[in-house]
Amino acid sequence: MPPSDAELANEALAGSEEASRALVARYATPAVNFIFRLVRDRSLAEDLAQEGFLRVFQRLKTYDPERKFSSWFFQVLRNVTIDYLRVNRLATSSLDELTDAGFQAPEADRTSSSPERLAEQESLARAMDGALARIRPEYREVVVLRYQEGLTHPEIAEILGLPSGTVKTYLHRARKELAILLKPFA
Amino acid sequence: MTRDAIRDRNMPDRKELERWLFSEETGQEDAADAAFAHVFAALPKVEPGEGFVQRTIAEVWRLRARRRRLVAFGWAAAIVLVAGGALATYLASPRLAPAAIKAFVFASGHAVPWLVAYTTVAMDWWWTLARVGSVIASVLMTPARVAAVVGVELFGILAFFALQRIAGAGRLGDAHV
Repeated sequence: MPPSDAELANEALAGSEEASRALVARYATPAVNFIFRLVRDRSLAEDLAQEGFLRVFQRLKTYDPERKFSSWFFQVLRNVTIDYLRVNRLATSSLDELTDAGFQAPEADRTSSSPERLAEQESLARAMDGALARIRPEYREVVVLRYQEGLTHPEIAEILGLPSGTVKTYLHRARKELAILLKPFA
Repeated sequence: MTRDAIRDRNMPDRKELERWLFSEETGQEDAADAAFAHVFAALPKVEPGEGFVQRTIAEVWRLRARRRRLVAFGWAAAIVLVAGGALATYLASPRLAPAAIKAFVFASGHAVPWLVAYTTVAMDWWWTLARVGSVIASVLMTPARVAAVVGVELFGILAFFALQRIAGAGRLGDAHV
């Protein structure tokens, strides 16, 4: 059975490089994904994720093992991103630009679908990406935490420092706005 | 960065999108939540570049070592300063103590009379102003005027309360679906 996040955090705090590496490996993809949805720039997302990890390790002493590690982690990550966004304007890249740069679906998915279905899926992905970029940032945050990271309402509330009811409202409104934006696509 | 730096999950199609939109339109909150989770999977997943973990760990370790050096340096500097200060005080105390006592006596001898004199003057002014204020108030404030002032204050408080209620209702509206 793999060690829990709290166990890894504890070992990392005690100076274990192996535990630190395992923690980074476990959270690298969620971290980059979370930030990417907020800044829409892949290399910037990686830079900010790295800065987030540095801050996490710097403040590991303040982590309370009673709390869920992921909530604490995303809270730190969000603060790093907000700090960056406060002082910098974004030059964002859309999914189209990423696709043009060569980021495509893996071969396995490509061969399993018909060309029409594949085109439809890619078109839906673009539409979703565009719609997500158009909704309010606070809505986008809750959508990403809920549907990408699979966090619960109370966990999201803890990360964002909002009441759980407000998180539900944001999610509801975000979905409504996305539905309006994606309706022409259906 | 590799070609599959962005992976997709089980990508949904138009039917799932339509299912979600139908759930949203008919107000089925749970169904809409579940259906949207499928549709959201349309977004490709961004994988960190190769060597991200290695780079991050290297940076963490570099910063940790630097912080340890800084902490060690801070402790060493503090110990040197405290020890040096204690030694200097010990060596210089036979000369410093009488001089310090003299300086304290000199400062108190000059400062205390000055403080008393200025406090007395300030208090005189304060009482004079208080007397003038009470005379003006007794001339101006008739019972009718007092009632008018209280009325205006009550009206202001009520208006403020009403505004707060209106603003609060707007916020509460945000908190409920």
